Amino acid sequence: MLAIKDGKLYTISHGIIDAGTILISDKKIVAVGTNVDIPADAKVIDARGKYVTPGIIDAHAHVSIWEEGQGWEGIDVNETTNPVTAGIRAIDGIDPHEMGLRDAYQNGITCIWCAPGSANVIGGEGVTMRTYGESVDDMIMLSPSGIKAATGENPKGAYGSRNQMPKTRMGVAALLRETLVKAQNYQLKVEKAGGDPEKKPPRDLGLENMVRVLKGELPLRVHCHRADDAMTAIRVAKEFSIKITIEHATEGYKIAQELAEHGVPIIVGPSLTSRSKVEVRDRSLSTPAICAAAGVKVALMTDHPIIPVWYLPICAGLAVKHGLEEEVAMRAITLTAAEICGVADRVGSLEVGKEADVVVWDGHPFEYTTHVDYTIINGTIVYQRQ
Amino acid sequence: MLAITNAHILTISHGEIENGTILIDEGKIAQVGTNVIVPEDADIMDVKGAYVMPGLIDAHTAVGLKEEGMRWEGDDRNENTRSPIMPHLSALDGFNPEDEAIYDAMENGITTVLSAPGTANVIGGQAAIFKMQERATADDLFQGIAGMQAALGQDPKGAWREMKKMPSTRMGTAYVLREALYKAKDYLGKLERSQANPDKAPERDLQSEALVKVLKGELPLFVHAHRADDIMTAIRIAKEFGLRLVLTTATEAHKLAKTIKEEGMPVILGPISAARMSVETAGRTIRTPALLHEAGVKFALTTNHPETPLLTLTMQAGLAVRGGLCPQEALKAITLYPAEILGVADRVGSIEVGKDADLAIWDGHPLKVRSNVLATFVKGELVFHLDCHCCCEQ
Repeated sequence: MLAIKDGKLYTISHGIIDAGTILISDKKIVAVGTNVDIPADAKVIDARGKYVTPGIIDAHAHVSIWEEGQGWEGIDVNETTNPVTAGIRAIDGIDPHEMGLRDAYQNGITCIWCAPGSANVIGGEGVTMRTYGESVDDMIMLSPSGIKAATGENPKGAYGSRNQMPKTRMGVAALLRETLVKAQNYQLKVEKAGGDPEKKPPRDLGLENMVRVLKGELPLRVHCHRADDAMTAIRVAKEFSIKITIEHATEGYKIAQELAEHGVPIIVGPSLTSRSKVEVRDRSLSTPAICAAAGVKVALMTDHPIIPVWYLPICAGLAVKHGLEEEVAMRAITLTAAEICGVADRVGSLEVGKEADVVVWDGHPFEYTTHVDYTIINGTIVYQRQ
Repeated sequence: MLAITNAHILTISHGEIENGTILIDEGKIAQVGTNVIVPEDADIMDVKGAYVMPGLIDAHTAVGLKEEGMRWEGDDRNENTRSPIMPHLSALDGFNPEDEAIYDAMENGITTVLSAPGTANVIGGQAAIFKMQERATADDLFQGIAGMQAALGQDPKGAWREMKKMPSTRMGTAYVLREALYKAKDYLGKLERSQANPDKAPERDLQSEALVKVLKGELPLFVHAHRADDIMTAIRIAKEFGLRLVLTTATEAHKLAKTIKEEGMPVILGPISAARMSVETAGRTIRTPALLHEAGVKFALTTNHPETPLLTLTMQAGLAVRGGLCPQEALKAITLYPAEILGVADRVGSIEVGKDADLAIWDGHPLKVRSNVLATFVKGELVFHLDCHCCCEQ
C-alpha cells in the first residue's frame, strides 16, 4: 500500500482537492479525498505543499523509435521504402532503455502515443505505451492504437524527390483513397469467403489494419499542418465514414468551426519549434485556445524529439498564456489525451479504480522551474528526486 | 522624454528597485531610481508595479540568415562550396530584416541578437550584432561585427565528407583551421615588414585580412563545439595563436568547467534544452549552467535560433534554474553576460544611466511560464505592446 498524503490533488475528473490523500493498492487507486484512512502498514509520501496529478500523457511522440544522441543507427521512425506501410508496427522499433523514455518518466510523463513518422501517406500502427518498463511488451497499454497517416510536405517531399508518387497533395489524397478502396475490396472478399479457406484472399497485414479503420475500430491519425490538408483528411473521412484525428493541427485556428462541426479531435504541437518549413509558417500558440473555445476536443503533443518529451507541461503552460483555460490545458495532457489514445478507462485522472500513474511535483507542473519529486507508474515508485 | 513610473525594476547590475522610475531621453536611460524628478514635459507611462528589465540579448542565433517559414530559399547560413575557410563572409550580407523572427523577438522582449554564419564550414564568417526593430534594411539594425565564427566536430566534417573533401575527420578540421591561421600570420608579417617599403606589400587577400583581425585580438574567435574533446581542441588552438576564444554551443562544457575557468574563456551556452538530435549532443543536460557557475565560468544562455526558437530564451533561463542555477544568475545570462561577451556592455545588458533604453516590461516575473511581455522598447522606441488595459492604453 502506498499513500500520498495532504497534497494539492488535480484529479482532472473531479476538480482540485486541497490537502487531499490518495491511497494506492495493488497497482490501483483505491481512495481519493480528504478523509482517507491510511493503513498503518502503508508507505506514506508526505505531499504537503506539493502538487499531485495523474501521470502526464503525450498524445503524439516518437520517443525511442527515434532515439536521441544517435544518427541513422537509432532512427527507426520512417520506413520510407513504400509510401503505404499500414502493416508495420511501432512496437517493433522501440528500445525500452532509451534516454528519451528515461527523461519522460523522470519528468512526470508516464504514457505516450508512440507512432511511425510522417514520411509515408500511411505510416503504420501506433502504440499507447507506458514510459517505464523492462521490455516493450511490459509497457504496452494498447496496440495497435490508431493507424498513422500523413498529408502535406512530408510525404510529397520524401517521394516526390525520387519522382515517385506522391509528388503532389493530389497524389497524397489519391494514395489515401486507393488504399481505403483496396481495403474495402479485401474486406468484401473475406466476407464472401465466409469460412471457406479456399476462397479467402491471401493474408495482407496492411489491408487487415485498414479494414479495422473502415470498421471504426481504429482511428486514422492524420498528420496535417495546414488547414487545407486537414480539410482533405476530413473529406476523405466522410467519403469512407471513418474516424480520424488531426495531428499537429498547426493551422487549426483557421478551421476551428469545421473541426467542431465534424467532431474531429486535434492533437496540437509541437508548439516550441521555429517555423522550420513552409507548412508551419502560420503556426500560432493560440491554436489550442481558439479550437477549444469552438468546441473541439484538444490534446497536446511534443512530437518528441522534435521538441523534447519533457516539455509537454510547459507547452500546456504556454497554451494557457495564450488563452486556454488552465483546467482544459491540464486535461489536454491527461484525460483528453487518454481518451484520444484509447486508455481513458485506465489512466488520465485520479479516480478510484484507475491504474495508479501518479506524479508529485514541487510546484505547478506548467512552470519551467518545477521539479518532479516522485513518479509512480502502475502503483510503483519508478522515480524519486534525490 | 518618457518616464516609466511605478516599475518593479530588475536592473540586473544593481539589484531590484521597487516603485522605481526610469527616465528615457533621446533613446538613452537618463535616470533610474526611486527619487527621479520627472520633468514636466515628459510623457509618463505608469506600469502599475509591472516588472521592467533590460531588453534580452540572445548571443548566438541565425536570425535573418535562416528565415522562418522557408527552406533553402531563406537559408543563407552556410557557404560550404569552395572552401571550408570563409572568414571574409559577413552575416550583414545575408541578413533579411523582414525575417518573422524579428517580430518574435520584439514580442518576447528580445532587443539584441547576434546573428552568426552556420557551422558547416570550419570558418563560417563574421558574426554580427543587430537590434530587433522594424526597419527596411539590415544596415539600420546593424550594431557591428562581434566575432569570427568557426566550428569543430560533426558539422564541418559531415558537410565536407559528403563532398569527399577535407576535412572529413576531426584531425582534418583542426588542420585546416591551423593552416588558415598560419597563412594569415604570414600575411600579417609581410604587411608589417612592408610598412617601411610599400613595394613589398603582399597582394591583397580578403581571407587573410579578415583573419588578421582575429590574430591581433581585434575580433574574438567564436568556436562552435558540442563535445568536450572539441572544446579542448578549440582551447589548444586558441593558446597556440594567442587568440581571444569564445566557446559557442558548448554542450559538454560542464565536463571541462575547471579548465575553461583557468583559461578564462567565456561561453555562449545552448540551447540547453533541445532534444539530443545528434550523436554529439548526447551529453546535453540542463545542469550545465549551474555547474559552470559553480566553477566560476562566465556564460550567456542562447536559443541558437532556429535550433530552438527565439521565444524560448527566457525558457532557457528558467530551465537553468530547474537545473540548479539561481534566478539572478539566470537573468544575467540572458542580459548582462551576453552583452559583456559580445563587447557591447557599455551600451546594453542592464538598466543603467547612459545605456540604450532597451527595455522589456512584464506582467509577471520573466521566468514564469505564463508571464507576458506587455511592452518592448529599443533605444526608447516602443517596438511592441500587448493590447492590455494596464500600462499601454496611455
